[in-house]
Amino acid sequence: MPQVPNRRVLTGTHFMLGNHAVVEGALAAGCDFFAGYPITPANEISEHMARRLPEVGGKFLQGEDELCSIFAVTGAALAGARAMTATASAGYNYMQEGLEYAIAAEIPCVIVDVQRCRGENFATQADVMQMRWGPSGDHEMIVLAPSSVQELFDTTIRAFNLAEKYRMPVIVMSETTIALMRERLVIPRPEEIEIVHRAKPSVPPEEFLPFQAGPDGVPPLPAFGEGYRVLYSLNPHDERGSIHWDPDVFEAMYRRITHKITTHYDDIVRTESFYLDDARIGVVAYGSECRSALEAVELARAKGIRAGMLKLATVWPVPEREIASLARQCATILAVEMNLGKYAREIERVACGTCQVVRVTKNRGVIHTPGEILEAIEAHA
Amino acid sequence: MMRQDRVALQFCGFGGQGIVLLSVVLGTAAVTRAGLYAVQTQSYGSEARGGECQAELILSKDPIRAPLIDRVDILVAMSQLALNRYLGRLRAGGTLIIDPELVQVPDRADVRILLVPATEIASRIGGRIAANMVMLGFLQGVMGVVSEEDLLDTIRDHVPHKYLELNLEAARQGIALARAQRVQGE
Amino acid sequence: MTIPDIVPNPLRRYLRPGSLPHFFCSGCGAAQVLNFFLQAADELGLDFDKLVAIGGVGCAARIPVYLHAEALHGIHGRTLPWATGIKLHNPELTVVIFAGDGDAAAIGGNHLIQAARRNLDVTMIVVNNLNFAMTGGQVAPTTFPDLVTSTTPYGNRERAFDLCQLAVAAGATFVARCSTHRPRVTIHTLKKAIQHRGFALVEVICQCPTYFGRRAIGSDDPAQGIRWIAEHSVSLYRAGELAEEELADKFILGTFVEKEAPVFEGSSVYPGGEG
Repeated sequence: MPQVPNRRVLTGTHFMLGNHAVVEGALAAGCDFFAGYPITPANEISEHMARRLPEVGGKFLQGEDELCSIFAVTGAALAGARAMTATASAGYNYMQEGLEYAIAAEIPCVIVDVQRCRGENFATQADVMQMRWGPSGDHEMIVLAPSSVQELFDTTIRAFNLAEKYRMPVIVMSETTIALMRERLVIPRPEEIEIVHRAKPSVPPEEFLPFQAGPDGVPPLPAFGEGYRVLYSLNPHDERGSIHWDPDVFEAMYRRITHKITTHYDDIVRTESFYLDDARIGVVAYGSECRSALEAVELARAKGIRAGMLKLATVWPVPEREIASLARQCATILAVEMNLGKYAREIERVACGTCQVVRVTKNRGVIHTPGEILEAIEAHA
Repeated sequence: MMRQDRVALQFCGFGGQGIVLLSVVLGTAAVTRAGLYAVQTQSYGSEARGGECQAELILSKDPIRAPLIDRVDILVAMSQLALNRYLGRLRAGGTLIIDPELVQVPDRADVRILLVPATEIASRIGGRIAANMVMLGFLQGVMGVVSEEDLLDTIRDHVPHKYLELNLEAARQGIALARAQRVQGE
Repeated sequence: MTIPDIVPNPLRRYLRPGSLPHFFCSGCGAAQVLNFFLQAADELGLDFDKLVAIGGVGCAARIPVYLHAEALHGIHGRTLPWATGIKLHNPELTVVIFAGDGDAAAIGGNHLIQAARRNLDVTMIVVNNLNFAMTGGQVAPTTFPDLVTSTTPYGNRERAFDLCQLAVAAGATFVARCSTHRPRVTIHTLKKAIQHRGFALVEVICQCPTYFGRRAIGSDDPAQGIRWIAEHSVSLYRAGELAEEELADKFILGTFVEKEAPVFEGSSVYPGGEG
């Protein structure tokens, strides 16, 4: 297989498009399979992958639709690939079937969803609930929310590592704002990048139970062709993988694939606090909205208002501990998001009446300005 | 012009003039060679195929939070239609840079207006297509955010070999023009 | 009376331990295809460690569940996208798809066209029982006109797909149609298809006593179903002598295409050398 030396990790400082940073992050994380179907504003991911992936020995597929993309990705992942697809809102709709399968059959893969306004390349965060609740079935979901070009790179690497570690599809929740923006990106040296590999079976095939969990709740995953002859099915299956309906077996499977996420809250959930030590008014934001929110908090501080910000780098699972703590500390939480108030419901649920939750909403194709958020802060200070 | 910690630039014209490339090369030079922070965005979609075209670039000494421009500090206009549309965003005291062959001097007494015959210069050295590089060189000359050498090296990274010499010469002409105007101004 | 020694079927060693009893109705054609495949695999000496068997949803899609190979099952119509990802990442694997006519001609129809166009190096066995059997015998894109199914109580008002002609037109490099009433020919054809390098489609016409038999041909006797297939079959050689009207309700059996062409290695392939 032809391979260009040292092209996998482009160490150095770049001025890079967000969508390209996703690709560079994926390659740095060892991605060797990508499938995608044309859709704006995610096309730059496919186009850059088509150029970059083959030169490092990976395989690129332009599928005939999003279903092809997600299923090719899950197939490649079971064959041993670190696989990814990218799409945008409407395309994510189509992928739900593949996501459900990947969750139930515990297939590691990364899905980048560049949210857009219905059919147009205007910015929105309208799909924050769909990322979590799109696929049918009883399960948890890991959804990460980068807010800059650097974070698109870093988050894509993290998404691969979480996917491999927990045998789960992991969603990178991108947005038009950052996907189509060029910004400073610093790519570290390869040895500085942490790469997590899926656990492989430690016993021979005749002793291997493909859906029996190790101590961390995650079963080891052999690749096709390694002699383990595993049967993967969406249908209810036991630890051996055999399909049969037994309510105990069925419920046990769903409990395990749920618990492997909920019991690793500390590893998966990431937030960042800004000026929260003495804050009385807390702004909660995720994705690109963090940028205006932080500027607004700093403007408020300059006016003597004790405002702070909690940035949700993981949106699913919900950072319940951090939001609950903020709710106890503050009189008011401002839930800032680029939609008509969706994630605010989660914040209200977690706050559970301990503080006032105010929805700061906008869905007009562009992020909040710092002035708009400052106005909301001042109104509730 | 980098006396402020943050400068917001807007470039506008029509598709095919290399408006976007202009913003990308300046941003790249600023970030990768001058250690600055930058955010670049551009108009997207059907406009990319020959209609109006615009790109925005924020340069900053500190990390950029909201990637939004409410008022433009420097507006570079290479078509009359684009100028008409975006002139209102240029703040009082800001700088307007226009190509007099393409754009009429507008009635704005509150801004500094600099005339750069980019198309004429580019035509003279071998191709109108390089007018954007004359503008880029000129910007380097008046802003000084990146060194002349760094700018030329960044152009080398972005322009196909076949057109490189033309583009480099165009940028050099722009730099020289800025220098000459500065001397005149002083 | 002496009780003869019971010799276990030697093909049983290819079945996944613990997977029996199977779920097929007695006299099901899909179960026969499982048998045909095992015989073909046995005669070829296929390495089941390197075999990925893929099923979608439906009766035929269950076949991989019984094979002691790497196996994927349980999504309707997406067998070929799976196969594409697997085959691109590891071309050393042998990938065989077991699809019903619903998987192949209805919900997964576009994937079939695209895989044939790309010449993806997999074998797709389409078990065509002319109806949606798993869900209760609804009309399929392969059902002949006028036949009665659970959703065409007054007779089918649609025309039937000729899947083999579709695959030929889309560029498949091995295309054949067989039937359950000709086991040896079917096994022989499956062997050729598995050995073929490129996209191989083998359509196997099958009886479905439970639904298609009962509703469309008026008998749930498997033998009657097989007889009906035989009566409606004509060899490719003989078909040339028949008029179009005479062929309207016939299965043309034979190998339509067998040729070599470059196989799919990805939509973007690095040309090699220094970048």
